[in-house]
Amino acid sequence: MASSQHVLLSPAELAYLHDSLSLTPPIRPDGRSPAQFRPLVAETGILPGTNGSARICFADGTEAIVGVKAEVERTAQRAGDDTVYLEGGEGDEEDVEDGEAREGEDKRKGDSAWVEMTVEIPGLRDDDSGTAFLAAMLSEALLADGEFAKRLWINRRFHWKLYLDIILISPPLSYPLPLLSLTTHLALLSTRLPRLKSEGDEDPFFDDDWAAAPYLFPRTPTTTTTIATTARPPITLLVMAVGNNIIFDPSKEELAVADVALAVSVTGSTAAPHADDAEPEPGRSLRLLSIRTIDPPSRLTPPGVANAANSAYGAAGTQKMLEAATAEVEAVEGVWKAPRGGAKRVVLGALVQKVLERGGVVDEVLDALEGVDLG
Amino acid sequence: MASLKRSLDSDPFAANISSKVYVRSTKSGKVQKIVREVYLRQDIPCSSRLCQSCLKTAPRDAAGRPSPFVLSEAPAGTSVFPQGHYLVPDTNAFLTAMDLFEQSAAFYDVVVLQIVLEELRNRSLPLYNRLISLTKSEDKRFYVFFNEFRLETHVARQEGESVNDRNDRAVRKAVAWYGQHLTRTGAKKVPAVVMLSNDRDNLRKAKQEGIPACSLTEYVKQLKDGEALLDMIPEAEDQDGIKEKRVGAPLYPEYFSMSKMMTGVKNGLLHQGIFNVSPYNYLEGSIRVPAFPKPLLILGRENINRAVDGDLVVVEVLPKDQWKEPSTQVIEEDAITKNENPDAEDAGDLVSQKERKALQEEVKRTHSKTTEGHAQPTARVVGVVKRNWRQYVGHIDQSSISQSSQQGRKQDTVFVIPMDKKIPKIRLRTRQVAELIGKRILVTIDAWDRSSRQPMGHFVRSLGELETKAAETEALLLEYDVQYRPFPKTVLDCLPKEGHDWKVPQSMDDPGWRDREDLRGLLICSIDPIGCQDIDDALHSRPLPNGNIEVGVHIADVSHFVKPNNAMDTEASIRGTTVYLVDKRIDMLPMLLGTDLCSLKPYVERYAFSVLWELSPDADIVNVRFTKSVIKSREAFSYEQAQLRVDDDSQQDELTKSIRTLLALSRKLKQKRMDAGALSLSSPEVKVQMESETSDPIDVKTKVHLDTMSLVEEFMLLANVSVARKIHEAFPQTAILRRHGAPPKTNFDELANQLRVKRGLDFSVESSRALADSLDACVDPNEPFFNTLVRIMATRCMMAAEYFCSGTQAYPDEIYTHFTSPIRRYADLAAHRQLAAAIGYETVDPSSRSRGRLEAVCRNINVRHRNAQLAGRASIAYYVGQALRGKATEEDGFVLKIFSNGFVVIVPRFGIEGLIRLRDLAEPEPAAEYDAETYTLKTTGSRELTVELFQKVRVRVTDQKDETTGKRGVKMELVSVY
Repeated sequence: MASSQHVLLSPAELAYLHDSLSLTPPIRPDGRSPAQFRPLVAETGILPGTNGSARICFADGTEAIVGVKAEVERTAQRAGDDTVYLEGGEGDEEDVEDGEAREGEDKRKGDSAWVEMTVEIPGLRDDDSGTAFLAAMLSEALLADGEFAKRLWINRRFHWKLYLDIILISPPLSYPLPLLSLTTHLALLSTRLPRLKSEGDEDPFFDDDWAAAPYLFPRTPTTTTTIATTARPPITLLVMAVGNNIIFDPSKEELAVADVALAVSVTGSTAAPHADDAEPEPGRSLRLLSIRTIDPPSRLTPPGVANAANSAYGAAGTQKMLEAATAEVEAVEGVWKAPRGGAKRVVLGALVQKVLERGGVVDEVLDALEGVDLG
Repeated sequence: MASLKRSLDSDPFAANISSKVYVRSTKSGKVQKIVREVYLRQDIPCSSRLCQSCLKTAPRDAAGRPSPFVLSEAPAGTSVFPQGHYLVPDTNAFLTAMDLFEQSAAFYDVVVLQIVLEELRNRSLPLYNRLISLTKSEDKRFYVFFNEFRLETHVARQEGESVNDRNDRAVRKAVAWYGQHLTRTGAKKVPAVVMLSNDRDNLRKAKQEGIPACSLTEYVKQLKDGEALLDMIPEAEDQDGIKEKRVGAPLYPEYFSMSKMMTGVKNGLLHQGIFNVSPYNYLEGSIRVPAFPKPLLILGRENINRAVDGDLVVVEVLPKDQWKEPSTQVIEEDAITKNENPDAEDAGDLVSQKERKALQEEVKRTHSKTTEGHAQPTARVVGVVKRNWRQYVGHIDQSSISQSSQQGRKQDTVFVIPMDKKIPKIRLRTRQVAELIGKRILVTIDAWDRSSRQPMGHFVRSLGELETKAAETEALLLEYDVQYRPFPKTVLDCLPKEGHDWKVPQSMDDPGWRDREDLRGLLICSIDPIGCQDIDDALHSRPLPNGNIEVGVHIADVSHFVKPNNAMDTEASIRGTTVYLVDKRIDMLPMLLGTDLCSLKPYVERYAFSVLWELSPDADIVNVRFTKSVIKSREAFSYEQAQLRVDDDSQQDELTKSIRTLLALSRKLKQKRMDAGALSLSSPEVKVQMESETSDPIDVKTKVHLDTMSLVEEFMLLANVSVARKIHEAFPQTAILRRHGAPPKTNFDELANQLRVKRGLDFSVESSRALADSLDACVDPNEPFFNTLVRIMATRCMMAAEYFCSGTQAYPDEIYTHFTSPIRRYADLAAHRQLAAAIGYETVDPSSRSRGRLEAVCRNINVRHRNAQLAGRASIAYYVGQALRGKATEEDGFVLKIFSNGFVVIVPRFGIEGLIRLRDLAEPEPAAEYDAETYTLKTTGSRELTVELFQKVRVRVTDQKDETTGKRGVKMELVSVY
């Protein structure tokens, strides 16, 4: 899938847009500042039958819902250090001591197969390459650091299997990656798993009280988890650059003239107060999980042709080929020319730095999502 | 970036919708979040006859009538609520004292809240069922109020509130609403609405909120004659405070957590099964688990760990050095713990000195053995999955009563000895010891703490004096869970309106005649025991022109009267079978049907379901057909009458001739069966003769077997087999069939060994055929009874026959069902329906097609059937005892089982078994040496005897009343050894 629907702008309009975005500071068509997000509507708990769900509606009219369902699954056993021997009777006490001895180390293990993600975009087949790419990017961000799957660990014999169903319910007006990512983030924030009542490697046995079910991403660090920080699920943002300007949350028109577009996955975690850090820093620490370049639609837009070379304006037919060739090479003022070549290193570096900036855009987005009431 | 959340408040219907969210864990290990939407209504009536406003809005049925209101307009008052009151109990009130609510003296006008009903159902299904039957009884005026669905009484769970607190709040809210609602009716005397709870916290909160509330004890004290009811409030409840005081060290090991047990069971490290106590030794239990062919032994109090016979428990196998042999000693709880003091609970050690001594004997014996092969795996109980406690009949152990308590109303602790020897003594607190001594009483077990040696129970009601006929009969029925209450009105409503005047319609155009064959012209007669009123079956035979013989078996057409899924059908399926006691019959179907309309009485026309065969003169089936019919029985014979008639050569009428034909055919059929390897098993059968006026037992007779009995037997068998084939062919997946499960070969090991050692007989159980032959070979030329004795013992090794629903299971070629007694067995009724559908007479009712439902029916009737048999036997045993009362007779008996300190003798004349202990032989107790290899017990000292297995002995049978326990039983004394 092209990263956007075809934009119905004339080469001249494209050129104009490109120029105004290249200014310092850039002038965006809707008057936003470069790092400003468009307003969005978000709610959680819209699907009562799921373990967690969310809906987000972007200002451009695109809307997505995500449902998270969890199932208990038996962990495939491999012989080795992890092999579980079920002791009965007297053996138990020994087992307990053993467990205490190893308290310090995190014996929980995760596996990326424990998360299954499906993305549905209206009008596209589910095996469409674009859809598959989207799903891959989203799950890649989620599983990149291996910390997420650890949360699904129940005991050495069982784990939760998480099914994420991501559905775009509006037509794909703009590249839906950020929308889907934010909705997934919110759904995961609202996800709760039944409270475990059994101990050790017994067959899991859960509290039937839903109100007692803990969140997959608890608000305050609990002492039972060995993850000392309140980690959050990742978000993937779309960032683009025009010239040296870095622009967040591009609209589809802006994306049409991007020199480079990146999908950046970031995770944020607040350091727990009791963590060993010598000087606990305020705010959250952001971690870059992945960067993917997106083919910007600008590369697909046909180049503009100068009037002189345009046969429609009466230029000689014999000259046409030659003229066209020059049009490809030379930049003509006011004539749209699709960008060529990759992103500049400097721009990329600045872009990443901008994303990871403390108190920056990502912080703002995470704060906003955190503020959504988890009903 | 701004975000918004749409608020649900904008939904105009939000007020009427609520939802309930919970987590459900399925058996297969799935864990699901379940959301139930609750639509709140305002038309759920309060059902008080005082209330007019609810009557206006109450939902109506199809005929436009609201269901009648339940709660009385003038309910009874108490000393605190003289204006009258409605009760609203919370869940723990029902859980702890259901017996109170079943009282007829008090507890009327009760509002059962939906939330309470649901909670009760989760906590205890039997109690739930009892409550449901209470709500159905019209005179108790119990009303189920759906508080969760009524807008005003619905309670949403608050943040951080526990489920229990929320439910308690829901109860209080409902009580408060009822109170306000009734005040608004403007009645002159507005009844108080009183919450009944045993939860202190709930009571305290109710007081704060100004809601009338009582604890059970407080409430019962307000009642007139409440004193007597106080006993029925169980122990645990008012003990909250006392519990802390009595911190006795735990006597029993703690149970594993449920999840730990389940994991263990799944992994095969622990085993789950039903715990059974040995009838001869209360300290020995066994458990049959799927993993092993032989049951595991559980020895001693500590290993039994508070399991009671019938509980579903989880056990752990003990290490091999703790394996034991099953006990060869008789250990009876009465004898060993006779003088225990029920008050002295903190005696410290769990196993009393005497028990320990009994155990030492065991160990000595095991150690003296050189061969180790006899030791059997033992296990210990690590947890109880499901208690199967019921109400137990018993009597107070007189020796457990302290002298001071004989008078006065002080609460006292006594032991109750249950009638069932397999149930441990129950500790009971009562204020009415003096009244209860010498009575049969009904008690329940409430709890069995780790710190208490015996289970704790409470008194339910008294059945009457020991040894009175009424009390003993009721005791029997209760012990075997026989439903003996009269049929409710809803059932009687299903009977034909004409009552006894019902007749087969005259006109053949009547719908009743549809597809029925007119067999009124056939010479049909019935042969049954004397005095039989519910005649299920009748027979006929007539020669055919081609030399073959037509034989018909006609069975009462019960399915015509009992339609599937009505109240009568449900009741019958619950009862499962008619229960025959010596002096009483507890019917499965109402009398009108059983003894009149369905019964194939002579001289009147009746609907029947007929099986008609064409048999060759050699009794081979040429063909068979099934049809609904109308018959007219010519005569109802008793076995004896029929036998006389057949034997009397002067009788040459058609009817007698046809019986003779049947008799000849039945002999051939029997021979064929025997040739095919059919088993002939045996159980001692006796008949108690009653004096006709007083129905007091006067004599005991062994049943005589007549040819006419096997005539009827053979043809019923033939009909059952033919029907089984037909319905199995028509419904291979759902046919109701009956089978004798092949018993595990190990069941016969002991018997085979005994026969080999004692008689040098080879006993083979390779196949049914081999078994039949072996049994035939077990003859002692000098002792005709020996063969019967072996058959009796073999029968006990067999698996009980059971009903099952056919399907994918493999079963023997000879399939079998029950078809011939639909008046007294539900399985037959089900088979009738299936056969009717198989021959296209009617369509299949969904209920007789659903496998799940049929399996449930089979499970129930199997249990009922077994219980009915046991109750019948127990009834005979009781009457035999009564018939012997005051008489002493000498009889021949046989040694059936032998222990190191006694032996069991069976007396065929009375069909009873009795235990003779060493100490009964002589005073002082003779020393004895028991040789388990040869099953011989040699006594020396005060009396010198050698007792062997299968030996014929002479015993004196007397009745004896044990003064300490107040129990009358048959006592046997050894006179001599043959």
